Amino acid sequence: MEFGDKDNSMPPRAAYVHVPFCRHRCGYCNFTLVAGRDDLINSYLKAVEIELASHQEPHEVTTLFFGGGTPTHLSSDQLKRLFQSVYRWFLPSVDSEISMEANPADITKEKVALLQDWGVTRVSLGAQSFAEDKLALLERDHSAKDVRRALEITRERIPQVSLDLIFGVPGETRPVWQRDLESAVALKPDHISTYGLTFEPGTKYYRQLQRGDLASLGEEVEREFYLAAIDQLTAAGFEHYEVSNFAQPERRCRHNQVYWRGQEYFAVGPGAARHIDGVRSTNYRSTTTYLNRVLSGKSPVAEQERLDREARARERLVLGLRMLEGIDCHAFKRATAFDVEALAGEALVKFRQLGLLTKVADRIRLTRQGLLVSDSLWPDLIG
Amino acid sequence: MDSKHIRNFCIIAHIDHGKSTLADRLLEHTETVSRREMKEQLLDDMELERARGITIKARAVVMKYRYQGQIFELNLIDTPGHVDFHYEVSRSLACCEGAVLLIDAAQGVEAQSVANAYAALENDLTIIPVMNKIDLLNARPEEVTEEMEHSLGVERDDVLRVSAKAGIGIKDLLDATIERISPPVGDPNTPLQAMVFDSHYDEFRGAITYIRIMNGKVQKGQKIKFLRAGTTHEVIDMGQFAPQKRPCDELQAGQVGYLVCNIKSIDDVNIGDTVSNPQNEAEPLTGYQEPQRMVYCGLYPSDGQDFSELRDALEKLSINDPSFDFEPETSDALGFGFRCGFLGLLHMEIVQQRLEQESDVDLVQTAPNVTYRVTKTNGDSLEIHRPQEVPDAGEIEEFFQPVVRVNLIQPTEFIGPVMKLCQDRRGTYKATEYLSPTRAMLIYELPLAEVIYDLHDKLKSATRGYGTMNYEVLGYFPADLVRLDILVNGNRVDALSVICDRIDSDRRGRAVAKKLKIEIDRHMFEVAVQAAIGTRVIARETVPALRKNVTAKCYGGDITRKRKLWAKQREGKKRMKSIGQVDIPQKAFMAVLDTGQESK
Repeated sequence: MEFGDKDNSMPPRAAYVHVPFCRHRCGYCNFTLVAGRDDLINSYLKAVEIELASHQEPHEVTTLFFGGGTPTHLSSDQLKRLFQSVYRWFLPSVDSEISMEANPADITKEKVALLQDWGVTRVSLGAQSFAEDKLALLERDHSAKDVRRALEITRERIPQVSLDLIFGVPGETRPVWQRDLESAVALKPDHISTYGLTFEPGTKYYRQLQRGDLASLGEEVEREFYLAAIDQLTAAGFEHYEVSNFAQPERRCRHNQVYWRGQEYFAVGPGAARHIDGVRSTNYRSTTTYLNRVLSGKSPVAEQERLDREARARERLVLGLRMLEGIDCHAFKRATAFDVEALAGEALVKFRQLGLLTKVADRIRLTRQGLLVSDSLWPDLIG
Repeated sequence: MDSKHIRNFCIIAHIDHGKSTLADRLLEHTETVSRREMKEQLLDDMELERARGITIKARAVVMKYRYQGQIFELNLIDTPGHVDFHYEVSRSLACCEGAVLLIDAAQGVEAQSVANAYAALENDLTIIPVMNKIDLLNARPEEVTEEMEHSLGVERDDVLRVSAKAGIGIKDLLDATIERISPPVGDPNTPLQAMVFDSHYDEFRGAITYIRIMNGKVQKGQKIKFLRAGTTHEVIDMGQFAPQKRPCDELQAGQVGYLVCNIKSIDDVNIGDTVSNPQNEAEPLTGYQEPQRMVYCGLYPSDGQDFSELRDALEKLSINDPSFDFEPETSDALGFGFRCGFLGLLHMEIVQQRLEQESDVDLVQTAPNVTYRVTKTNGDSLEIHRPQEVPDAGEIEEFFQPVVRVNLIQPTEFIGPVMKLCQDRRGTYKATEYLSPTRAMLIYELPLAEVIYDLHDKLKSATRGYGTMNYEVLGYFPADLVRLDILVNGNRVDALSVICDRIDSDRRGRAVAKKLKIEIDRHMFEVAVQAAIGTRVIARETVPALRKNVTAKCYGGDITRKRKLWAKQREGKKRMKSIGQVDIPQKAFMAVLDTGQESK
């Protein structure tokens, strides 16, 4: 059931919970979070309870994802309270996937035991690198040793562990990146995500780039690093299943695949985005605005839009193609009622001619060349 | 009104020397218009003209003025202030006996002033030299008087000093028009002979024809005939502008006014034509010319769907501007559009601005070119309005291009740079005339093509804004010209072809290829930009392929934002023109204007 061709009246089977707290903000980060505002955590937990209670009834979910920020920045008591409220409304089904993002520096035996007790099946560790100077430049608050220790501790009690890595940091050389990949592989995680560093407006890195205090490595080097990641990780037995994601067999992140397959999901917390009943909506990103609104009885939703059927089909096409397995034409039609060739035939033919897409046995997918420039394909497919 | 109490005159001036302000003061002083009703710059009633400070269409106003106890009728005929409207200026001048030559007391004599003064002298007009803005702190009346003596041949003592803005010297000027300008000659008792010097289109009444009666008289209800067009009409209504329409039943020799004849299209009213009585025809007046369109360019809707909207907009514009011409054409690169002919570059810019203001069509404009002529080896001759029409090199016996005489006036310190500018454009030096010890006029002959590309802009930058220029067409002369083609990934982009001198073709080709390399975004494949003459490639640039362009993170919260971004990029791409699989932005179609002068 590739595209979850379910009846639209069915409620989502996935949920996302955003925890916007961090010890500090790293130089490259523009996520929805507040650093050094632990005083807001109790209000946040209260607000999440209120937002959750707006669901008319509890829903069974097969995937649940706690993202951030840093969910593990919460104390054990705070985490317990969060789990309690979330599980009152989102009931994990048998064999559900419950993921949580974690900062290696926060990982202790006690905390891991708590996660296990509360049913977490998958921890995604923000390792980013194993090179100390790269970690320092990224302003991470942990060492390579912390990553190894956190991974070992986590693995004792949690079935799946994923590592996040960043590449293309100013000054980084190819050997540094290759050693990062080797170190990650050596730890035998279930899953690895690799992200090319971007300079997002509003970040410290962006300002430094503008001032010329930082230089990006440039397209050619970033391409080389990205290809190195693909080659090294696939050689180590990982399946490259999405632009930035690699998994051991049967170890893909089920929750994230909900996004890429255009399926629907609940969401709570500041900046959280949901997709319910054909409507995409996003909460206020500012944590304090979110808290003020929810605690004073107002809706946390900042914006929402309902896409027409064609726009939804096109969105599915693009998201689906970000997965390396691509899209199955029949499943696509079942799920969207659109024939993919009728929807985007001209562009698809053009990209096939250019060697950016292939079509084999009714499955359309990116070629390696197409993957590298995939953002240049999406505009033609999206409208 | 006895013709000895009539004075017909115009004001000729360089742009910004205060013509409109002076006209306002004259209307006020003669109580034709009260100050309260006075819009700023009343004669320039089109917004665009006001924005550009140029009077595009002539207007005529009648004023009553009491001089030594006698009421005089003063007809002020407004003239366009720019080279492109040279012919219209000449027709306006032909309707006057005198001209107020207005010179800015600070800026002094400019190229346009000289050109218009000579035109006035050729028409035997009495010139009243006036120095305006005399109250300015940086006015330099003595020097400017000297310049006027030298370059315009006026007597120092004849120069009136005026400030239109402050209302200084207005009465003296009005008195001077009566004292110095001769009354119109002409016999009201001979057959009707009137000059059409302008027209405009009124939505309800059709074409309004502006005339100056040379001989005879015209009456409401009579039949008239346009002698050139050969058409006959009935005068439904007539009158004078004061400045609003003031109807009357008769106009006679010497007077200026308008006719309403139920004429549906302004195309039927030709400026320079002669109005007469079909039963008793007079001799046609001399000097009539068809408007000469010297500059052509292609205008295309950037979205092909807007073709009929563009046609409607062009039709609407041409209703009030018979000198502008258009016909449908197709381009491989740009699809369906129109080839449009203009009197000159400024005229082209004005039409384009109006199109943009008055319609919603997003335009792609191809590089302008002048009209060339070719004689073929088989003896045929061709008029070339666009580069695609150039025959194969083997079929061309001789290629001709229009050459103009250009007067360039600037402070003497800039003579060097301006001469270099003209020489770089293959100008032939003719003469230097000193207007004063500090200002000089250079006279060059230049290919019109060189002038329309960028000479004016370059003159301004070479002279820190002090240089002014004016040109007149001398005629067609043989030249060694070639068609320079541009190929994008091997496909010739017809809309990017230009005609240029063989000597310049290498430089131009390199410059255009270089410019296109900058204008064309990187694609998923390499894009080769080549400049070629025939099959010979003379320049090549490569737009390298994109190597990496991929969003790392696309999770639940990113989807909407990314989709909007991609949709926006899609809209941007739609506005580009696709040649082969290369998307070419609209700006690139003007890249061929890059002469490569800087890269030399």
